Amino acid sequence: MLDLLPQWLRDGIGDDVAFWIGYFTNGKHLLWYASVQYTVTAALLGGLIALTLGLTAAAIRNSAPAPFRLLASVYINIVRGVPDVLFFLFFPLVFEQLVEWIWSAQICTPETLALNTGQWPPCDAANWRLSTPEYLLMASVSLGIVYGAFTANVIYGALRAVPNGQLEAARAYGMSRFQVLSRIHIRQMWVYALPGLSNVWLLLIKATSLLSLLQIVDFVTWAQRLGSANYSKIAGLVHPDWRWQYYLVLLAFYILVTWLSERVFGALTRRVRRGMPIVAEEAM
Amino acid sequence: MKQLILAAAALLALTLSAEAQTVKLGSEGAYPPYNYVDEAGKLGGFDIDVGNEICKRASLTCEWVANEWDTIIPNLIAGNYDAILAGMSITDERKKTIAFTQDYFPPDPSTYIAPVGKNLSLDTPSGLRIGAQGGTIQANWLEQNAKANNTLLTYETADQALADLNAGNLDTILADKSYLAEAATASNGALELTGPELAIGGGVGVGMRQTDTDLLKKFDDALTAMKKDGTLDALITLYFPEREGGPFYTE
Amino acid sequence: MSVLEAIVHEIELLAMPALFNIYFAAAAIPIGFLFAIFLALGKASPNKLLSRLSRGYIYFFRGSPFFIQLFMFYALALSFNISVWKPLGIDWLVLHPLFLGPAILALNTTAYTAEIFYGALTTVPRGEVEGARAYGMSWGQRFRRIVWPHLIRIAWPAYTNEVVFLFHATALVYFTLPVIGDQKDLMNKAGELFERDYKVFLHYSVAALYFLCISLAVFFVFGLIYRRMMRHMPGAVPMRFNFQRMLR
Repeated sequence: MLDLLPQWLRDGIGDDVAFWIGYFTNGKHLLWYASVQYTVTAALLGGLIALTLGLTAAAIRNSAPAPFRLLASVYINIVRGVPDVLFFLFFPLVFEQLVEWIWSAQICTPETLALNTGQWPPCDAANWRLSTPEYLLMASVSLGIVYGAFTANVIYGALRAVPNGQLEAARAYGMSRFQVLSRIHIRQMWVYALPGLSNVWLLLIKATSLLSLLQIVDFVTWAQRLGSANYSKIAGLVHPDWRWQYYLVLLAFYILVTWLSERVFGALTRRVRRGMPIVAEEAM
Repeated sequence: MKQLILAAAALLALTLSAEAQTVKLGSEGAYPPYNYVDEAGKLGGFDIDVGNEICKRASLTCEWVANEWDTIIPNLIAGNYDAILAGMSITDERKKTIAFTQDYFPPDPSTYIAPVGKNLSLDTPSGLRIGAQGGTIQANWLEQNAKANNTLLTYETADQALADLNAGNLDTILADKSYLAEAATASNGALELTGPELAIGGGVGVGMRQTDTDLLKKFDDALTAMKKDGTLDALITLYFPEREGGPFYTE
Repeated sequence: MSVLEAIVHEIELLAMPALFNIYFAAAAIPIGFLFAIFLALGKASPNKLLSRLSRGYIYFFRGSPFFIQLFMFYALALSFNISVWKPLGIDWLVLHPLFLGPAILALNTTAYTAEIFYGALTTVPRGEVEGARAYGMSWGQRFRRIVWPHLIRIAWPAYTNEVVFLFHATALVYFTLPVIGDQKDLMNKAGELFERDYKVFLHYSVAALYFLCISLAVFFVFGLIYRRMMRHMPGAVPMRFNFQRMLR
């Protein structure tokens, strides 16, 4: 990438600086910078899924027959008891095995089944070969499920914070239950939900650092590879252990994303608060 | 509902078979000179060159996948790739779960590396902090023979073990001699190979799923041809210049 | 082996690893609690420098993932091995996961707890503090008799959550620090068992069960402590994990 700079600039900045610029923009490093896409995708997709699941679960928990409410409650509360790492590792494995199990019931012949007794998958043709896009999708869904529970908790609280009088007035006007929900209840809920949602979003972003556990060559994995000491000339620059410097860059990245998210949520909160009477609770 | 599942399964099976033309090869990418990730971010090294040559001779299109060492065998079985070329030694233990081709690198002795001047007695080590990469034959050997009297530390990659050694957190590391020789030269006199040479592994081979007998035969045939006409020996000399005793395979 | 037998056997296998997780949490919590008080007071202090430093520390540790903090502090400690730890003779201690794990956990939980304590500090009734000053109580007396009782009662529910999250975070320690010998924690052991026989439900569900039970135990115990603390306050809400509430 050094060759993109004009010659006079390269001469001006000196050999040392030029070397380091060249090093930090070589193919490996560029791949590192590009791998941020996985983190961003997982965060956005996961966030979207979390929001959808959260809204659904909260709505169910608010007003649905008792068995559904119990299910929604169990879903919401289980993340308080089980670490997100465990879900993160568990869900893709389970999903993969489920898909392979369905397939093997359809396309496995008795001969191929006999070949693989005692192993998984039951027969070779039912093996689902996974690569990065599939892992990324499953990671996003895992994140969505786990943080959907947190979101549901926040939204449930926010739904209950909307003054009841508003809902009663809406019913009095003859709006159907769905209209009350969509026009009045959910619209008014955002002001109470946003502080909690911003918290959940920050937790979600930090959880994307775990993508490397699902065999996705993400930001963290590259930092490990680049920082690890290299003792072999043919593999590139020979350098000692630089790992903590690379990890510091990762930390700086995440703090930057946190800071940006806080600004965005601040702007969102100001917008949502337009025309609403200032409520004391949400000033925390 | 059943129609839906059948249709989905058929569709996915179709896409599967379309992919079957490309053979995916897995490697670690953190074990120079066998395999490493070069400056441009691509896999390179002895294993990669051997793999590319095999694919050329067997007329297959090959794609490389980098995978960490501790999940390299499970992911082979799960189908993320079809063969492992990662400096993996042929052992009876591994033969239980995967199949190997003939060896494409002669059995490499394992030895110890330590800071110069330490003078450790490594024939029967005792009271030492010994490091090794997790899941390797050396880690296995240490577990069986040196665990009782020493502290064993396992690391995710061989580089991390070396980093700990350089930082003084370990007394010594047990690893392949061909890997350590490079590290010793690159350390500019700070580290040296020491201790007895242990014959632990049985040569480096290509690992494959036990059910992939066709692919195994293709790879074996290509390897035999490479050994006959000297290409394999040329590659060994290229990547392991310090290795004595060659040529190994040419008649 | 029937399903029940398999589960019971699994519970036995994972019992010892669970102790590692509990050890990590138990070692980090008291240290975090203590330092968080100082950090929260620092953040609320009128001294500009102290306040900025405290805010910076809290922002750093809350804004970055714990997973990466573990990686970074291990690599950092390693880089000081030859220059600092070895001359002092404490390298065997500092780089040992059973020390370093709780240490980094403590650094992390100090920040989160300090934020909770700071939030509670700002809601301590100012009138009572001013009244105490009027009576001539020293800062120490004011803190002990007025500020602290209010602070701990207001912060307790959020602190309970933080303790449970800390316990969950211990699952990450052995993903990043080297495993010495047989010292494996729940996630490590479950992963190892899974790689042998691919029974994802069995191993990970029992590990999840351990986490769930210990989390519930923490909620229960901390709830009891909360009720005792609030026994003299009017209308205190019992902090029980209430099954009735789940249905309502």
